[in-house]
Amino acid sequence: MIFLKHFRHFYIKYGWSFLLGFIILIIVDYIQLEIPRIIKLIIDGTEQGLIVDIDTLLIPLTQIAYIVVAMTVGRFLWRLFFYGTSHRIAASLRGSMFNHLTTLDQGYYVNQKVGGLMAYFTNDINAIREAYGLGLIMLVDGVVLGTLVLYRMLTLQLWMTIIAFIPIALMGILVFFLEKKMELKAKEKTEAFEHMSDFTQESMSGITVIKAYVREAAESLLFFTRSMSVYKKSMAQIQYNVIVNLIIDVMITLVILSILAYGSILIAYAQLTAGELTEYISYFFTLLWPVFALAGFINTNAQAQASAKRIHTMLETKPTVVDPLGAIKDISLDGSIVAKNLSFQYPDGQHNVLENISFTIEKGEMVGILGKTGSGKSTLVEILLHLYNVNPSMLFFTGVDASLLSIETLRTHIGYVPQDHFLFSDTIANNIGFAFDTMNIDQVIEAAKLADIDGNISEFKEGYQTILGERGVTVSGGQKQRLAIARALIKNPAILILDDAVSAVDTKTEEAIIKNLKKIRKGSTTIMVAHRISTVKKLDKILLLEQGKLIGFGTHEQLLKTNTVYQDMVRRQALETMVIEGNVHA
Amino acid sequence: MRDFKENEDVRKDKTLIQRFYGYLQPHIKTFILSFILMIIGTFTGTILPLASGLAIDQMTNPLLSLSTKIWIIVIGSIVLIITSGLSMIVNYYQNIMLQRVGQKITHTIRHQVFNHISTLSIGQLNQLPVGSLVTRTTNDPANISDMFTNTIVNLVRSVLTMIIILVILLVISPFMTLVTVSVIPFILLATHIYRQLARDAYRSMRTKVSQMNAYLSEHISGMKIIQVFHQEKKKQAGFKLVNTEVKTSSIKEMLTFSIYRPVLYFLSMLATLLAIYVGITSIFEGILTVGLFVSFYVYVGQLFEPIQQMSEQLNTIQGSFASAEKIFDVLDTKPDIVDAIDAIELTSFQGKVEFKDVWFSYIPDEWVLKGVSFTVNPHDTIAFVGATGSGKTTILQLIVRNYQVQKGQILIDGIPIETITRASLRKHIGQMLQDVFLFSGTIEENITLRNETMTEEAILKASEYVGLDYVLKKQPLGLKQEVKERGKNFSAGERQLISFARAVVYQPTLMILDEATSNIDSETEAIIQTSLKKMMDVSTMLIVAHRLSTIQHSNRIIVMSKGSIVESGTHQALLNQKGLYYNLYLLQEDEEKSSL
Repeated sequence: MIFLKHFRHFYIKYGWSFLLGFIILIIVDYIQLEIPRIIKLIIDGTEQGLIVDIDTLLIPLTQIAYIVVAMTVGRFLWRLFFYGTSHRIAASLRGSMFNHLTTLDQGYYVNQKVGGLMAYFTNDINAIREAYGLGLIMLVDGVVLGTLVLYRMLTLQLWMTIIAFIPIALMGILVFFLEKKMELKAKEKTEAFEHMSDFTQESMSGITVIKAYVREAAESLLFFTRSMSVYKKSMAQIQYNVIVNLIIDVMITLVILSILAYGSILIAYAQLTAGELTEYISYFFTLLWPVFALAGFINTNAQAQASAKRIHTMLETKPTVVDPLGAIKDISLDGSIVAKNLSFQYPDGQHNVLENISFTIEKGEMVGILGKTGSGKSTLVEILLHLYNVNPSMLFFTGVDASLLSIETLRTHIGYVPQDHFLFSDTIANNIGFAFDTMNIDQVIEAAKLADIDGNISEFKEGYQTILGERGVTVSGGQKQRLAIARALIKNPAILILDDAVSAVDTKTEEAIIKNLKKIRKGSTTIMVAHRISTVKKLDKILLLEQGKLIGFGTHEQLLKTNTVYQDMVRRQALETMVIEGNVHA
Repeated sequence: MRDFKENEDVRKDKTLIQRFYGYLQPHIKTFILSFILMIIGTFTGTILPLASGLAIDQMTNPLLSLSTKIWIIVIGSIVLIITSGLSMIVNYYQNIMLQRVGQKITHTIRHQVFNHISTLSIGQLNQLPVGSLVTRTTNDPANISDMFTNTIVNLVRSVLTMIIILVILLVISPFMTLVTVSVIPFILLATHIYRQLARDAYRSMRTKVSQMNAYLSEHISGMKIIQVFHQEKKKQAGFKLVNTEVKTSSIKEMLTFSIYRPVLYFLSMLATLLAIYVGITSIFEGILTVGLFVSFYVYVGQLFEPIQQMSEQLNTIQGSFASAEKIFDVLDTKPDIVDAIDAIELTSFQGKVEFKDVWFSYIPDEWVLKGVSFTVNPHDTIAFVGATGSGKTTILQLIVRNYQVQKGQILIDGIPIETITRASLRKHIGQMLQDVFLFSGTIEENITLRNETMTEEAILKASEYVGLDYVLKKQPLGLKQEVKERGKNFSAGERQLISFARAVVYQPTLMILDEATSNIDSETEAIIQTSLKKMMDVSTMLIVAHRLSTIQHSNRIIVMSKGSIVESGTHQALLNQKGLYYNLYLLQEDEEKSSL
């Protein structure tokens, strides 16, 4: 049973459902024990001459029939209440988890793997669902049914029950402990399997090397030993399981045989009737499930506890990038950006990624950010988007300190084209109109035209309703890029940021895009991150970064005249173009 | 990426079963024996209810004296203990034997699949995702063995149990049996309907779950975009939608079995009620004893269990067949480069390589090499330079015959490459590739590739030769130092040196270096330079290098552009020519300056 925060409210919300489930399950547990009793009455009644004709026989048979009908309905209902509720709880948890994830900042995601987060939604949720469904049923059955059966058996045959129960209780305890041992064996087998799997993975990945050195035969032999070890561990586990089952079998059979022998003696001495013996044996078989159920509950519960703790931790993680108290919301940004001695360090970083950067971008300017990998270009963009917090008085939008500005207000004023052109597996229209709640298809087409992708979209059979991604069509890198640009342009934002967005296209297309942008973005600010000179050459200003420091800020001509780093870059890129295009004597 | 081609022929169940039998044949005796044991075990396992009934009859028989009854109990108990004991022992051995057969078959198939994959050519393997290769070798064979060990046997056991119980019931009372069995059609019908509904419900749930997982994985990856565009609310609503679908379909799936199980209970209890009714009336008529009635009553309770189990077992068999098809698709994929039947062993190799108007394409009509011709003489050092995609690497790939040329000829010591076995060819060629691949294990194992015949002396000599000894000195365990997955605990330069030592220790006549020095610092570069010069004296060398400093000392430099040779000559001659090579050279000088 889980009583952590985020779980407690389920007991209130689904309280009625659990309660009904409990009541029905208890009723079913109780009435199912009536059947052996009635059977006893029939058998003994027949023998003792109490049931002599069809009329007297039909009375107990009708009773059984009522019970069977009640149990059939009851068994359906408790499944519905327990399993149904467990699915609802699982869905509700997943909902809160996803909603919470949308509030967490990039600092959180950097330290998490997608696979790891996914595991919360799959493995952990499954463990919890299991505990609320089968787990609770096992608990109730174990306790209620177990007690009821034992009580009946004790009243029927006190000493026989005490003697019979000891091996069964021992078996329960044994099963509980052996299950741990069984898990260990299973783990060993899984480890051997993973070992083989890893080896295969590595072998297949490095097959070029193996073939180059003609080591196929040796590799095959090594695989043989790995596979052999899986065989051995599997057999060890199987042997163990078979033995455990054998022990359980032996114990149950011994008890049954004892009951049968002792019961026969009692019948011979006329101290027990045939009906009572049949009833007793029925009870004994009924007792087995509660014993296994309790052992099962303990294990299921332990797993659910661990999973609940993980989910709890995730839900308790507080987002760090949030609006300050009294954040400035009602302001229209004009696109001017000022940085004053801007320094930045990642939350878990050791040193400054950006250091003492100061610049002023006027409204309507087109600015290029140039620098090598690791120079801090992308970090600067992340700060402009307020994906990370920046210290007060370092960055200003339209004169307002970024640390006081509402994040929502800032982001609605910025259009962003990411480096990886991330698109969703949704329709093209929904992707372009991503920023809006309700779609205006004319606006979408307009944006697509501006990004020079309208032509390509019209070629698709479904047009703007074409679904992208795995389930739909695959588009080229260049097309993705232009879709991402359209998605940002449709907002007609005060600030447009393109993070290395045109690197996937050839220089000709790039030129066309920039020319287009200049026309569209007249009067609004545009920032282009790039590592090619050709991208930034014709922009109003170029911001040159190196190792987190600003080493140049000005027009192409200015930088070409004064900045040696820039000069070198220009020369090298010119040569590179020549070599790649094979124009030897250009 | 594509998967193995599906082979329609193996899709026929008959062929599949024949191939299964091929794996079973070596173990057929054990398999049959375990079947016999299983039959014995099933018989003895169903004896108990009959015994209880007989006991009740004898104990309530007024004609028997008390001492006779005690004797009956003693003898009966002994018999039961012996048969139960026997049944358990038989079950134990039957289980273990059968599992062993199954596991052995898994092991055999695994090894076979693994070996088969390694006969495929690099070109074929590059088209297959590593993940699917791994699944074919590891998981799929396990699914097949599951069929041999659990499913088939349990299926037979289920059927057998039903038959035995039915026979006993018939012996006790044919009329009662007939009445009871009348419920079976309804159970079959219920099970049939359930299977249809459950399969649909299960499929729909699986689809919804994978849709949700896809949604999650996509949106967790794209969280940055969602936040930047401030669309959290929209996406929360989107998730709610898929999440609700999962919930609804899960509950539907749950409902199908929540209805089926109670219905099955109802039907089996109906049969029990009928049995009681007919049984008791038979007792009235004096044609049945109370004891046998009890036996009958207990057997009826057990009669229907096998039916549900059988329906589950049929599902597992379907799964196993699917895995088997996938495995046979692998085994039926023929390697596209095989040695000719009369291929010769290259026993000695001088180091002469000749390309005569070689044309090659990976994809039909997209030529990567367009009529390339050159000759490499023994002990020559030839360097290939050019932009990415100019065809340099392809030339080296063709020399080790990872691919087959479409036009032209490659001669190795004057022998056409197609007539030489690939293994013997590769034994003479050392390859140092751009992507250094290290295996997890020790440094030594990575150098020798676990070739036990190599002496430590030879390994140390090779290490010294390539300058790896400096790295080894830093390692506490020296050659025995652990190498983690893909060598991530070593720097790029160190990894390169290890792979260099690997190439040297095999003493190749021809050495291939493909961008082998591109990822390393200048210090390591200097070390490799020295050893390269030493190597040049013993081997023929073919080098593809990005850094021109690596190749300045080559006998000849071949400049490639778009699949053709455009320039060729010594470093100095090419510089004087002021062509493509000259430009490349200028560019690199520049880069070195700016990287300072």
